[in-house]
Amino acid sequence: MPAEDMGKLSERLRLTFAISTVVCVLVLAISPLKDFRAEWKRYKRAFVKYAQGRPDTKKLLADYKPEIDQVWLPGMNVTDRCTTCHQGITQSSLADASVPLPFRAHPPIPHKVRDWGCTICHRGQGPATEVAEAHETTLAWEQPILPARFLQASCGSCHHADLKETPQLARGRELLTHLNCQGCHKLSNVDQPMLGPDLSSVGYKVSREWIYKWLKEPRTILDKDGNVTVNGYENEDEPRMPKFRLKDEEIKALSAFLSVQKAKPIETYKINPAVVAAWSKKPDLLSQGEVRFRQMMCTTCHSLAVTRGGETKLIGGDIGPELTKVGSKVSEEWLVPWLRNPQAYLPHTTMPRYGWSDEDLYKVSQYVMNKLTDTDLLTNVGQLGAATDEEVKTGKRLFTEKGCASCHALNGEGRQKDFGPDLTALGAKNASELEFSKAKMEHNLVSYIQAKLQDPVSVNPAARMPQYSWNQADLDAVTTALLSQTGPAPTSALQHLVVPKKDTSFQPVGAFAQVYERYKCYACHRFNGFGGTLAPDLSYEGSRAQRKWIADFLKNPQTIRPTLTLRMPQFNMPDKEAAIAAEYLSMAVQKPDVDPDSVDTRQFTPAMASMGKQLYEVKYQCQSCHTIGGSGGYVGPNLNNAGNWLTPAWIEAWLRNPQALQPDTIEPRRNFTDEEVRALTAYLMTLRVGIKPQTSKSAGNAHAVALGAGR
Amino acid sequence: MKAKLLMVALLVCSVLCVLALSGCKRAAAVVNPEQAFGAYDTEPDWNDSTKLVKLGYQEAQGKRVFYQYCVWCHADASPAGPSNRSNVTPVPPLLNDGEKLNGESDEYMQNIITLGGSALGKSAMMPPYGKTLSPEEIKAVIAFTRAIAQPAYQKPGRPGSQYTTK
Repeated sequence: MPAEDMGKLSERLRLTFAISTVVCVLVLAISPLKDFRAEWKRYKRAFVKYAQGRPDTKKLLADYKPEIDQVWLPGMNVTDRCTTCHQGITQSSLADASVPLPFRAHPPIPHKVRDWGCTICHRGQGPATEVAEAHETTLAWEQPILPARFLQASCGSCHHADLKETPQLARGRELLTHLNCQGCHKLSNVDQPMLGPDLSSVGYKVSREWIYKWLKEPRTILDKDGNVTVNGYENEDEPRMPKFRLKDEEIKALSAFLSVQKAKPIETYKINPAVVAAWSKKPDLLSQGEVRFRQMMCTTCHSLAVTRGGETKLIGGDIGPELTKVGSKVSEEWLVPWLRNPQAYLPHTTMPRYGWSDEDLYKVSQYVMNKLTDTDLLTNVGQLGAATDEEVKTGKRLFTEKGCASCHALNGEGRQKDFGPDLTALGAKNASELEFSKAKMEHNLVSYIQAKLQDPVSVNPAARMPQYSWNQADLDAVTTALLSQTGPAPTSALQHLVVPKKDTSFQPVGAFAQVYERYKCYACHRFNGFGGTLAPDLSYEGSRAQRKWIADFLKNPQTIRPTLTLRMPQFNMPDKEAAIAAEYLSMAVQKPDVDPDSVDTRQFTPAMASMGKQLYEVKYQCQSCHTIGGSGGYVGPNLNNAGNWLTPAWIEAWLRNPQALQPDTIEPRRNFTDEEVRALTAYLMTLRVGIKPQTSKSAGNAHAVALGAGR
Repeated sequence: MKAKLLMVALLVCSVLCVLALSGCKRAAAVVNPEQAFGAYDTEPDWNDSTKLVKLGYQEAQGKRVFYQYCVWCHADASPAGPSNRSNVTPVPPLLNDGEKLNGESDEYMQNIITLGGSALGKSAMMPPYGKTLSPEEIKAVIAFTRAIAQPAYQKPGRPGSQYTTK
């Protein structure tokens, strides 16, 4: 090669080197530039700038460091760098909504961020330093941040006992119990399920045609105008029987199989022919039946559809099924013995055994069979005829295959266990563990749960799960409760922090046990944390009420709270049972530090009582919530008969601290002096009236929630 | 020749730089925190039930407290049906009555709930809740009041400095 060429080449080579050096330097320069412009650093700088524009700069920047900040709690598996950008999270002065995100302070909660981190509650990616990676689902990270409206799920992961701050979670857990989700699924921290009816003798109760109709459409029924109504009526309460995707021949087979279930002959009861003869001719038989139906307060547990102003609404309680069309459902041969003794047909029922006279029984059963009817109910079903052996055989197979036995017992066979998947760890699943099939939706856990609940086949065409109908609030509540099922705590440190759910039960002993079971007191009342929430908690009834009053009340319940429409039923309780119940309640269920006999009423002087009256009416104006003698508010109980009803010891203890006796009461705790407490007690003990029979005047028609627990 | 090569090199460099920088820009613009996180709860506008007011954490806690303790006298319907408002004189304001309540400061509201009406020279029919509710719960109720106020509540004082992360 000539020297000249060599020179050219080396020059070119030099040039190439020079250029590539420049390129290298520039490329290398990108890295620090990129680092300088890293997202989290921009938030760091922006915070400094923001803090400098505020009067409390010094306090806000007191422990500012320009590096990544992280909460590291190895025992709890927490490495959260969220505070790198969310820098004002513990600054109380940044609590206002006008402070821009991400600098706003966290609202005050019992858990401190330095002790708990963020992801334990909010999920998302703790170690991530980029906004998208921390909050969203990406290919590399699977746990998106939990939308705020489901956040109570995180409370439920550790707080297995219900908290008053998490009403949505409590509602979700209540629905999981009410809808008997545990019939098919394993769940944790949920109350024992309510069972569906035992079907062993259902053939005596309903016709094959009714079963057919019910299976075809237990929820939505099209009315004549083509309007879809839920469970026969527009109703916000979720009916418990879901809709199964059954073919017509499957429904025929199941209805055939069920219609021949007559395992235990029903007790027959013949109403005294003299009563029947006397009443059957009377023109007001049915209206008298309705009067008794209402007086006995059947509507405290059962609702009826009422149309007012063109709007149909269910009015009444939801402990038992709605009864608007029950006359077209059940047979009279079944109804009469059922009303007399429901527990004979269905041992686990919560329907109390009323004391019936033949006259009442005849009037009410005639009213139910003739007035609570719908002649169109079964018109489009047609005659199905007698069940053939073939149909019965297929029906029997389907009963097991479709999971009916998960909720309904049949012929003493126990319920099927674990028909559906175990859901105790559903809330901790990653998107990759879920099957989305071909469903077009976001691939994350929340979308999956909501899709599955709304339409089970949307994510799994072979799903056996039946169809429920939800309103948005209940759908979100159940989603929250399912998201809280995160399985055992991931680390032992967290395991120690779990607040367990207390198992509650109340088993009275002695003669009262039979009264308690006969009248199913626990269906509405709560005893030591066990039982319903509709009526007052009776855990401390012995400290609160006088024994004679309890016995009188049981025989003739009166409305203590003027606004309540759901009231204690008229059981027609015999004297003996009322006395047993009053004795047990007044002796056995007391608050240990409120001895009903500890305050002697003889110490109360008329002067004290008149001072109490002054305090009641002028200084404290208790009449804003309580009624005495027909005037006053109706938030608290009517005090007309306080002197016969309450014990003075209870009144004193209540005035000092109502929440100590009943934590969720709305009566505020006041600063009464001892003298004022005694004066008010003396005054209230002077309020006495004779017990008069209750009138059936109803004030308003909305659902009443006893004791005003905010639900 | 030289110039040509230099040009090419510079072009490559700038393309690389642009690519590298645009990469981090794209990542930054995705998340809308309100959308990603959403509201804790909603409350229908009391005057127009088709409109939903979104509630933050504190407001949602306030809603819970309100529907347990305050609803009886400060709303037109209660969980038990009729409202107790008509039994109380003077008639207590509805909680969403912005014309009446927007003018009261947070401190005043905190005081009247804590100490009751008579302590502030108002009706004794408003009882004190300071020994029943925690200060946080009372603050939460006030936040809920502000959220549902009609006409809408404006925070007093000048608005905070305009801020953006961009």
